[in-house]
This record gives sequence, C-alpha cells and structure tokens, in this order.
Amino acid sequence: MTIASPVYAARRRRNLIAMGLSIAATLFGLGWLVLILGALLWEGFSGLSLRVFTEMTPPPGADGGLLNAIIGSLILTVLAVLIGTPIGILAGTYMAEYGRYDRLTTVVRFINDILLSAPSIVVGLFIYEVMVRPMGHFSGWAGAVALSVIVIPVVVRTTEDMLTLVPDQLREAAASVGMPRSVMITRIAYRAARAGMITGVLLAVARISGETAPLLFTALNNQFWSVNLNAPIASLPAVIFQFALSPYQDWQKLAWTGALVITFTVLLLSVVARALTAKGPSS
Amino acid sequence: MNTRTVIASDILHRPSGVADVTEKVSIRDLSFYYGDNRALKGISLPLYARKVSAFIGPSGCGKSTLLRVLNRIYDLYPRQRAEGEVLLDGEDILSSSQDVNLLRARIGMVFQKPTPFPMSIYENIAFGIRLYERLSRAEVDQRVESALRRAALWEEVKNKLGANGLSLSGGQQQRLCIARTVAVRPEVILLDEPCSALDPISTAKIEELIDELKADYTIVIVTHNMQQAARVSDFTAFMYLGELIEFDTTSKMFTTPSDRRTQDYITGRFG
Repeated sequence: MTIASPVYAARRRRNLIAMGLSIAATLFGLGWLVLILGALLWEGFSGLSLRVFTEMTPPPGADGGLLNAIIGSLILTVLAVLIGTPIGILAGTYMAEYGRYDRLTTVVRFINDILLSAPSIVVGLFIYEVMVRPMGHFSGWAGAVALSVIVIPVVVRTTEDMLTLVPDQLREAAASVGMPRSVMITRIAYRAARAGMITGVLLAVARISGETAPLLFTALNNQFWSVNLNAPIASLPAVIFQFALSPYQDWQKLAWTGALVITFTVLLLSVVARALTAKGPSS
Repeated sequence: MNTRTVIASDILHRPSGVADVTEKVSIRDLSFYYGDNRALKGISLPLYARKVSAFIGPSGCGKSTLLRVLNRIYDLYPRQRAEGEVLLDGEDILSSSQDVNLLRARIGMVFQKPTPFPMSIYENIAFGIRLYERLSRAEVDQRVESALRRAALWEEVKNKLGANGLSLSGGQQQRLCIARTVAVRPEVILLDEPCSALDPISTAKIEELIDELKADYTIVIVTHNMQQAARVSDFTAFMYLGELIEFDTTSKMFTTPSDRRTQDYITGRFG
C-alpha cells in the first residue's frame, strides 16, 4: 500500500487547514481573556494594600478601602447560598430521584433552564416589586433574596445532573439490602454525587459574587459601615459600578482593585470546584 | 428457617426423582410487562430451599427479568408490572400489602457489575445490618467479620476495613457485595450474572462461595455460562422468548433434556 496516495494527501491537507483554523480561533478567544486579566492586574494590583481590607469606602479625595463592601458582599452571598441551596437541592432531588419519569419534572426542568439564563436585571426588578416596594425601602434582605433566585436554578441543575449520573445499579443495590428510598438518597446517592453537588454550589457562589444588576434595585449600596439587613447594604459589585462611573481618579483606582479582589475570589472558587470534580463523583 | 411443607399442587411442577426438598419460593403463572411488552409469559416454577437453581437461556429470554420479580426490584421503575403469584413461604410477595423493603431484606440480590456503596469496606457491610437491627458496636463488628469470612474476603481486607470499598479489585468488590448481602441474613440470595465481569480466578472463588452458601440459603443464579450453571446448580430452568421451556435437575438438563430447544441451546446450536 502506498501511503502517499492522492486521497490520503487531500485528507492531510484538509486536516492541516482545520487544525490551523482551530488554533487561530483558540488564540483569538484566549487573547481577549489575557488582555482583560492583564488590564485588571495592571490597574488593580497597584491599588492593592492592607487598607483595602481594613478601611471603609472613602469620599472622593480621601483615603479609604473596601471593607464595608467586602463584608456586605460576604453577608449577601452567604445568605443567598443559605436560602438558595436547600431549595435547589430539594428540587434537584425530586427531579432526579422521586419524579424522574414524571411530567412535572420535564416542566420544572424547562422552566429552570429559562431561569438559568434569565437576565439578572429581571430578577432584580422582580424582587424590587415583591419585596422593596411593599417594605418601602431597599434592604440587605431583598439583595440576598435576589441573589438566591440566581443560586436556585444553578443548584437545581447541578444536583439533578449529578444525581442522574449515579448509576441505577447502585440504587438497585441499595434497595436490595432493604434500604428505603429516603435512606438510599441521603446516605448513598448524595454520597456518590457529593463532589459534583458541592461544585454546583461553588459555581453558584462564583456566579453571584460578581452580580451587580440584581443588587441595584434591592440592596442598593451603602457608603458607610452597615450590617443591618433591613437597610441598604454595600456590596463589591455595586461599589465597583458606582466608583468606576465616577469622575474621581482615586475612586476609579479602588474600583479596579475591587474588581481584582472579586476575580481572584472567583478564580479560587473555580480551582476548588475543579479539584473536587477531578476527584470524581464517587470517591 | 421456616419453609413450607410440600403440598399436592407442587408435585405437578416437581422434577421426577427428586426427594428431600422443600419449596421456598413458588412462582405461579407469572407474567411480566415492560409497558405493553410482555416479557414473561405465564411462568410456573418452584425454587427449593437450600438448593441452587440456575436460570439459563439466550439474551432477552427473560431470565434476568424473572430474577428481578423475585425481590420486586422492578418496583423502582414506572410502567413495569407483574401478574400472577410469587409465593415466599406461602405468602404472595406481589400483593400490594407486601412491604418491599422488608421483602428485600429477606431476599438479597447481587448484580452483574460489582456495586460497592461509596463508603468504607466496614460500612458497606455494617450499613445493611444496622437498617433493621439495633446492635452494639461489638456485635456489629462480629457480624461484619463473619460476613467477610463467609465471602472469603476477610483475610484480604482485615487490615484495611476503613479503606473505601471502591479501592478493591473487581473480584474483591463482588465478594464484598456478596458479604453485604449475606450480612443482613436473607433467606434467599439472587445472583444476576455475578461473574460476568470477573476473571477466571475470581469466578472460581465466587463459585466455591455459592457452593458453601447453599447450606443456609436458597440461591438463584442467572448465568450465560453453561459450564457455570452445570458446576454450581442443583436445578436448571431453561427459558426462551419469555417462556419457561424446561425445568429439571441440572444433571438431567445437561445430559438428557426432554425438549429439543434445550438440547440445541446447551449444545451451542443457537443462542
């Protein structure tokens, strides 16, 4: 057999062209990412100091940090996860375990997918209508609930997906020692899917930690130290939004630094999520 | 172990020349449906206490389906249903009043692929024991050890009981699954092609194990391996296209089967 047949040469040529295009597209996509991260590091790193984590947001022209915004973001994120995760896990469990073959599951999955990709500003407006207006003021609670509405579909989706990956054989094995379904789910299926489910929650945290739109109409922002959830509360994205739009140079600098802090937190979470997934769903 | 005395109607199904057996499970006119598809067609069959019964037949003949009816594992899925009677010590397990969890504690099952739970070797076995019995730590320890000894796995794992069950080799995992099944002290053990994913050495160990276990348990094994059926079983049922073609002592089935199709299958002419 001759290797250099015309058919083979043509196939090699097509392969080279396709590979060249793929590499070019990859470089193009990655290039922008590198530029964004580079600008962020360049602009944000110079403003990074201990003060960022120990002082409040300053008035224009004064020294200050982002402490109130960082704490506000932490509170909002933790609350949103505390509200959203149980709902998401319970719903995902229903869909994967109890109602896998039910029509309701198909409907919920469809709606959940819409919610998953819904513009977050819509969520903000919705919470504004159902919480902020009746209460008469912006509040941390409204912000946390708005963020939890974003958490829920992410957790529902990953929980359902991860539980669906647990082999039916394992369920049958559990059932065949006389294990009731509830015990099988909590002790076997959750354990087998644990890494994936935790990853889902971490992904949800990564997603909401940079969300600005749902907070603008709900938690608003706060120039001062406040941990009162019945009052407007500061958050990193809202501060970045406000400071970046301002004409003051020192505010703009702080905005860059805040963006850097968020980016690295999210990066860290992604790495943790990766590490957990790499260990596999069953170990 | 409580077994029912043989009554007249059982004699109808009893293979000739068999004495000293009691019927542990009686399958009567059993049909099974996957949706509208009738996978089992009026099967009647006795399963004898402390004997090994093998179900053989070509793929899709319904032998695994029949096995899955016996502990109602099919109940986990929608649109699957059984008609007829399956009597365990004279009580119909297909009746809606039967608690399936309690039933499955009495009729254990081992699957084709090893399925250790995602937990330690010790917990894999202790978990099932604690489901229905309140025992002291020492008693559980003792039960875990004796189950592992029964499954001929103790010597290999006694120094790493805390290790994850998934870290064992395939053959060890399968013996762990058998130990887990034995530990809850069932009366009947169902084996669904338990050796098809194992190498010959592990297979030999499992077969030895089956031979030892039949002193205490009623064992039913589904297998594609004719030699295995001949080696381990006392009775053999040949199934084809959802029907029971022939049921008899293994020695008779493999030497002088009365149905032509059994003969053809056993000699490898189809299937």
